[in-house]
Amino acid sequence: MSDAEPFLVWQCRTCGYIYEEARGDPMEGLASGTRWRDVPDTWICPSCGTAKAEFDMVEI
Amino acid sequence: MIPQDIADAIVDPKAYADQARIDDAFAWIREHAPLEQAQPQGFDPFWVVSKHADILEVEKQNDLFHNGDRPTTLMPIEMEKKVRATMGGSPHLVRALVQMDNPDHMNYRRLTQGWFLPQNLRSREPRIREIAKSFVDKMAACGERCDFARDISFLYPLHVIMEVMGVPESDEPRMLKLTQELFGSADPDLNRNARAVTDLDEGLKAIQEVVGDFVAYFNAVTEDRRASPRDDLASVIANGKINGAPLGFFEAMSYYIIAATAGHDTTSNTTAGGMWALAENPDQFAKLKADPSLIPGFLEESIRWVTPVKHFMRSATADAEVRGQKIAKGDWLMLSYPSGNRDADVFDRPFDFEITRSPNKHVAFGYGAHVCLGQHLGRLEMRALWEELLPRLQAVELDGEPRLMQSNFVCGPKSVPIRYKMH
Repeated sequence: MSDAEPFLVWQCRTCGYIYEEARGDPMEGLASGTRWRDVPDTWICPSCGTAKAEFDMVEI
Repeated sequence: MIPQDIADAIVDPKAYADQARIDDAFAWIREHAPLEQAQPQGFDPFWVVSKHADILEVEKQNDLFHNGDRPTTLMPIEMEKKVRATMGGSPHLVRALVQMDNPDHMNYRRLTQGWFLPQNLRSREPRIREIAKSFVDKMAACGERCDFARDISFLYPLHVIMEVMGVPESDEPRMLKLTQELFGSADPDLNRNARAVTDLDEGLKAIQEVVGDFVAYFNAVTEDRRASPRDDLASVIANGKINGAPLGFFEAMSYYIIAATAGHDTTSNTTAGGMWALAENPDQFAKLKADPSLIPGFLEESIRWVTPVKHFMRSATADAEVRGQKIAKGDWLMLSYPSGNRDADVFDRPFDFEITRSPNKHVAFGYGAHVCLGQHLGRLEMRALWEELLPRLQAVELDGEPRLMQSNFVCGPKSVPIRYKMH
């Protein structure tokens, strides 16, 4: 994948928390630009604890 | 076992109207008995989950710690017996999302979840902002004094959620009264009988009457929306299907009731508490005035500060261990959100109101599958109000003693008299 690949947005199915690849989540140790595929599989939703696998890609 | 006086305090509605008393009780528990059993007079014993980390631990294990098997909120033994006797063995007077476990919980939650997602609320923001602006205008029209709780914060989120639900504005006073009679059932200023509750039967009867009034109202709404669906939440509930069949009557009525009560009262409490905190902390008000980009942080701190939902109960479906304590199958647990939100292991100077607090991972909305469905709407409402109000609010101070509602479940300030300057 090239750097020109557009940034995507993922959303927690339980609480609606939004992870934007462009912004990342620095409070969670995820720098801006961190791709979803690079977020560890053990990562959980910071808002409700839902597993990474329970997120959906969404268009905002 | 937690000492008797402290155990009695944490179930006493009056203690929650006395901030120092309830803070002291939970501070003692966090320090000396962070996960211990309590047996207040008249109650079955239960574990008090007082630490932030333990609340998360319990809340994320929804199959191990159920909501619906035992009362979901604190209930004395005798009252539970009476409720079970009148509800066909169930310990609940209503069966909304908070009383459900999977698979029902997931199925019922999905019914309205989409409505409350940020991307779907975005289209409602202009209207919510318009409503917010009208309340800011109302505050300006009050002159230089108002009771911010009664005149503004009780009414604004009420108007928003009732519009979302499709309840006409003329019925809003009735909805507010019923909400306050339900959540304020222990408060003589707010409950149906307008006096202190000393008799269990009388107290329970009053709550059942309130639920009955809600059911009568929303039963008519259901019939109307089935005949003529509209673009409102009531139509979603009225015409919703679970596994291909319409919602059960009891579940549908409960769905309306939770939306029509928790859907505004929690936001009202937080908004009133936020204003109270600003009036008491002029340095924080000045900081916010100087930099409105701090509004989101101010909102999160207001939510942590007020924590309008004081507890939910869980029960263990199997033997478990939390913080080294052996919790037996069937044991009852109290998740104390205000305690978790004053936990010094997580929050630096937890008793200070600090709008730049970061991180601020409070547990006021809960955690896990039952995390608050309406959290994004609540945040949007508060952001709209403060973005409209702050530029016009030049100064604010308390104009008397604020008062808190007497309740051990959902509560906050019932009166916040303020003096202010606006333009």
